[in-house]
Amino acid sequence: MIVRVSGALLRFTDYQRAINVDAPTVEAALASLASEYQPLRKVLFDRNGRVRATQRIFLNGEPLEPDQLASSAGDADCVELLLAISGG
Amino acid sequence: MHRFCAYEVPVDTGFFTPHHLQPAAICRLAFNGAGRWLSRHVISHRRLVVEHRTGFVYWSVQVVTGDRVGFFDADRLGVTVTGRVRGGGTQVECDVDVSGPLRPAGRPTRLRAVCVPLLLDGGPALSGAPARLGPEVLSAFLAEEIEERPHRSPLPALRAAIAARGAVLARGRAPFVIHRHQCEVADQWFWPEAVSLAGGAREELVRAHAERVAPLRLAMQAPVGRLDLLFNRPFFLFDEGAVLSTAYEWEGRLAFVHELVGTGAAGDEPRPRALAVEQFTCD
Repeated sequence: MIVRVSGALLRFTDYQRAINVDAPTVEAALASLASEYQPLRKVLFDRNGRVRATQRIFLNGEPLEPDQLASSAGDADCVELLLAISGG
Repeated sequence: MHRFCAYEVPVDTGFFTPHHLQPAAICRLAFNGAGRWLSRHVISHRRLVVEHRTGFVYWSVQVVTGDRVGFFDADRLGVTVTGRVRGGGTQVECDVDVSGPLRPAGRPTRLRAVCVPLLLDGGPALSGAPARLGPEVLSAFLAEEIEERPHRSPLPALRAAIAARGAVLARGRAPFVIHRHQCEVADQWFWPEAVSLAGGAREELVRAHAERVAPLRLAMQAPVGRLDLLFNRPFFLFDEGAVLSTAYEWEGRLAFVHELVGTGAAGDEPRPRALAVEQFTCD
C-alpha cells in the first residue's frame, strides 16, 4: 500500500511524502514504517506502543478509529497520516 | 490591578508600510509581547511546553489600528501587554497596545488575541489536543486575571453582516504553498502568516480589478483599519491552499473577506482553515 505523509510529519520520513509499504494491515504498515524511519516511531507511538491519540489515520480517505487499525489493506490501498494540530 | 509588561522596541523599516504599521508586524510584536508577559508573570513559554506539556494555538485575533505611526516618527515603539485566562482555563487572552509617540488622548494600535491551550502528547512532533490549563499553571494567575466567561469571536457575525448587506466589488483566488520560513518550530504555519497571505490576496485583487473598480484603490491608499482573524485548523509545511477573497463596499467601508482553504487533488476543502476580515475606511 501507499502511505502518504504530510506537514509536520515530513521531517520524520526524510521528506518522503508517498512511501510504498508491504504489509497486510494498517497497523502492520505503521510498524513497518516506524522501522524504516526510526525518528517516526516516537511520533506515531506512545511509550506503550499504542498509536498516539493526536495522530489521525485515514484508509482511502476514511478516518480510522484506534480499534480499526487492524483493518486489512492491499497494494491498491492508501493510508494517510495527518497531525491534527501542534502546540508551539 | 492586572499585571502588565511595558517596554520599548527599536523600530526597523520592516515594521511599516508607507501608511502605518504592517499588520503582520503587529501580530509578530504581539506574539512576542504575549510571551514576555507570560514569562514575567506566569511561566515561560518554553517551560510551559517542556515541564507542563502545554502549548498554545491562536484561535481568535482582532487588531484595531490606532493613530498613524511611520518609520520616521520615532526611534522606538512602545508596547504594553496584559494577559488573563478565560472560560475556566480553556482560553488564554492577551491585549497588546503598540504605539508611536502618542499625543494626548492618542490611540494606540490594539491587538487582542485568544489562544487555546493544548495538552501535548509528549512526542517530538509537539502534537496535542485542546485542554484546560493545569491547576499549577492556573494558580499563577491573579484572581483578577481569571474570567469565567469565554471569549466569543466576533468574526462569524461580522462576516454574515458583510455578506448580507455589503455590495460585492470583486472576487479572487490566490493559491499558496506553505514553506518552512512561514512556519514555527513544529513545521506548522506561524499564525501571522495568515495576515500576510490575506494581505497578498487582497493586493492581487486590487491589482487585477482596481482599474475597473475604483473603490478598491482605498486598500492601497490607507492602512487596514480593523482586522479580524479566526483559526479553525492550521496549515503545515508544504500544505497547499488558496485564499478565496471577496471585496465588499459595506456601510461606507471597504471590506475584504478572506477564506484560507486547503486544496488538493480532491478540490478545495469545504471548511476554511482560517478566516480573515480586513476593513478600510477613509480618514
